[in-house]
Amino acid sequence: MNLMGLQGGQYQPLTQDQVKTIHGAALQILETTGITYETGLEATANMLEAAGARVNRDEKRICIPRDLIEASVAKAPEQVVLCGRDPKNDLNLTENRVHMGTGGGTIKILDPDTGEVRATTLQDLHDVSRLVDQLDNIHFLVRPCIPTDIDEKDYDINMFYTCLRGSGKHVMSGVNDEAGLHKVIEMASMIAGSKEKLQERPFISVITSFAISPLKLCTQSTLIMQEAIRNRIPVALSSAPMAGSTSPLTMAGTLAQLHAEELAGVTICQLTNPGAPLLYGGIPGMANLATMGYCGGAVECGMMNAAIHQLSEYIKVPNYNSSCLSDAKLPDAQAGYEKAFTAVLNAMGGSNYIHHAAGMLESMLAVAHEQFVIDDEIIGNACKVLKGIEVDEEHLALEVIDSVGPGGNFMTAPHTMSHIRSEYYNSNGVTDRKSRDRWEAEGSLDARQRALNIAKKLLANQKSYITEEVDQAIRDRFNIILPA
Amino acid sequence: MTDFSEIRECLVGLDDSRLPGLISRALDAGAAPADILNQGLIAAMDIVGERMENGEMFIPEVLMAAQSMSTGVDILKPLLGDEGGSDRGRVVIGTVQGDLHDIGKNLVAMMMESAGLAVHNLGVDITPEAFVAAVKEQDANILCLSALLTTTMPMMKQTVDAIVESGLRDKVKIMVGGAPVTQGFAEEIGADAFAPDAGSAAKQAKSLIS
Ligand code: B12
Repeated sequence: MNLMGLQGGQYQPLTQDQVKTIHGAALQILETTGITYETGLEATANMLEAAGARVNRDEKRICIPRDLIEASVAKAPEQVVLCGRDPKNDLNLTENRVHMGTGGGTIKILDPDTGEVRATTLQDLHDVSRLVDQLDNIHFLVRPCIPTDIDEKDYDINMFYTCLRGSGKHVMSGVNDEAGLHKVIEMASMIAGSKEKLQERPFISVITSFAISPLKLCTQSTLIMQEAIRNRIPVALSSAPMAGSTSPLTMAGTLAQLHAEELAGVTICQLTNPGAPLLYGGIPGMANLATMGYCGGAVECGMMNAAIHQLSEYIKVPNYNSSCLSDAKLPDAQAGYEKAFTAVLNAMGGSNYIHHAAGMLESMLAVAHEQFVIDDEIIGNACKVLKGIEVDEEHLALEVIDSVGPGGNFMTAPHTMSHIRSEYYNSNGVTDRKSRDRWEAEGSLDARQRALNIAKKLLANQKSYITEEVDQAIRDRFNIILPA
Repeated sequence: MTDFSEIRECLVGLDDSRLPGLISRALDAGAAPADILNQGLIAAMDIVGERMENGEMFIPEVLMAAQSMSTGVDILKPLLGDEGGSDRGRVVIGTVQGDLHDIGKNLVAMMMESAGLAVHNLGVDITPEAFVAAVKEQDANILCLSALLTTTMPMMKQTVDAIVESGLRDKVKIMVGGAPVTQGFAEEIGADAFAPDAGSAAKQAKSLIS
């Protein structure tokens, strides 16, 4: 059952009037409060000024008038297609089409053998890529963990290489600097056959945390963002304020500030290279007010992420955001309900590229193999909701109701056979619906243990998505650490 | 002896408008400024710290209390002479080079301030040389380094090394922290202490110099 790219939009936490009010508030923020920048972004400031923005160089403040924003935003494509290596994994990001996948950068893993938490390695990144490749409801691969066992100068190229080798799905990641970006483009071009072929079918894209909320441009990330845009490599404009610490405590205030940050980012990109593909990357988050840590599992994160999609849809730019996070430390009941709530809310909101949606625990700090399997099931269920209930002659089934007749049963009716594999969600195997006797006979395994067993089976399947010849060429050119 | 419970309640209850009045009343009644500080303000902040650790008070409320505390300290300072300030810890804190995360580091700074330490907050993306210079300038006895990225953790080691090379290592205790940092890592790079959160960081800092 293919549940990728279904239309969401059934849940709209904001009315159209509220969307307009927040959009207006964001324009006002950019016109009157403005954004700030640091040394290194002079060229970007000059570019904005030449286009009509007011730049105060002493205070390092840039105020952007609304017509410049509106004109720039209009140039951003309404549709961005992020490709898989195989076209069946292509992501058509537009309107309310929903795709959900992994998110980036954890540094710990629950060791699949011991259950103990430990630092993530390059091998973990490869294993997790293999899992994502085989779990149907995880639609794309944002590099989920950091190879803490390799030198940081080798990060960029090795993270992309490892993901691209282990999985045929679209790969997205951040890079450390512009040089890293160029290397990654070069390697991906080798895999694609040429840079033109890569631009034609971009199976990689980059994330840049261009904004440091509130309202500040991050120098390094903004430069990377502009460089990706110049190369027409799709880029997600990530900005992730936490309500209560880096944005107002209230949801409306957080949405307004975040929308302003995104409008500024889109404006910079479209001035840099009009028409270049990008994703509106507003990720409204919350601070845990008891510790000020990131509070990804809160139900309000689900609500706000659905709302931010309404704002991106209003300006007709596909969006990247976040859901299915949890603050739990292991795949327990809390992880289950936090993930399910935020996943289904954001999916029903219609967000186009929902990352962080698989494998994560401890608010972005840890992953676990079994969690990828469980989240595959959660995403599948959330996307199934989007399919809705089909009501047509065939699905109304009047004929079969009549032929079975009062007092009969439907178990062997041909109508049952023709819908048996498509009407209901098919579990990936982690959900237990056996009798207690059977369940006990099989070892009384809970969902976590069942998921671990599934992950183990999937990891037994070896596969490389890079041909031997290209692999050798890449190894001759770059310092690839994962053994051939 | 004056009863300082009202002052404590006022701080803990975030009722800061009443604080200056209560302090002058206590002074008029003949209370010693040092007693008002220790048995009133600092004792209140201890309660606040405890409530924070139990999750009964939110961090923004703790910061509010810390702000009123410093208003109170400002009133008392001129009357305290040397007794309040001379033995205070002098902290230099910053996020290491290449790292822009500052929420946790700022929290640590604020908690240390409200624990009575003098804190010099350098900001983010601070080079080892800038840390060395600040430690010298501020005559600091505690240096706090924050890092949130595995890519910038090596910079903590480089900063510790720079302190050693500058000959300041004996004069300053070094604390490290941030989400990926562990006790083991702290030991490995030759730091003196690690703390997992802002509350325990402030406590640790005080015990390091006492
Ligand atoms: C908010 C955040 C950001 C914000 C920072 C805003 C700001 N003003 O600080 C923004 C969006 C800018 C950002 C940017 C990036 N981030 Co970031 N970010 C986070 C996030 C979600 C929360 C951090 C935070 O503020 N926590 C709340 C505070 C209160 O907690 P804390 O920092 O841990 O501090 C507490 C303790 O650690 C301790 N402590 C802290 N410092 C010190 C110091 C001492 C001396 C002591 C004793 C104690 C101590 O006390 C504090 C209070 O209790 C974390 C994920 C997470 N859950 O931690 C990722 C995270 C740290 N970021 C990550 C990444 C990858 C990035 C980027 C590289 C993303 C990109 N691709 O562009 C950039 C890097 C920018 C740079 N050069 O620094 C990764 C790190 C992975 C890695 N390699 O290590 C994380 C883990 C997220 C993830 N899984 O992807 N990020």
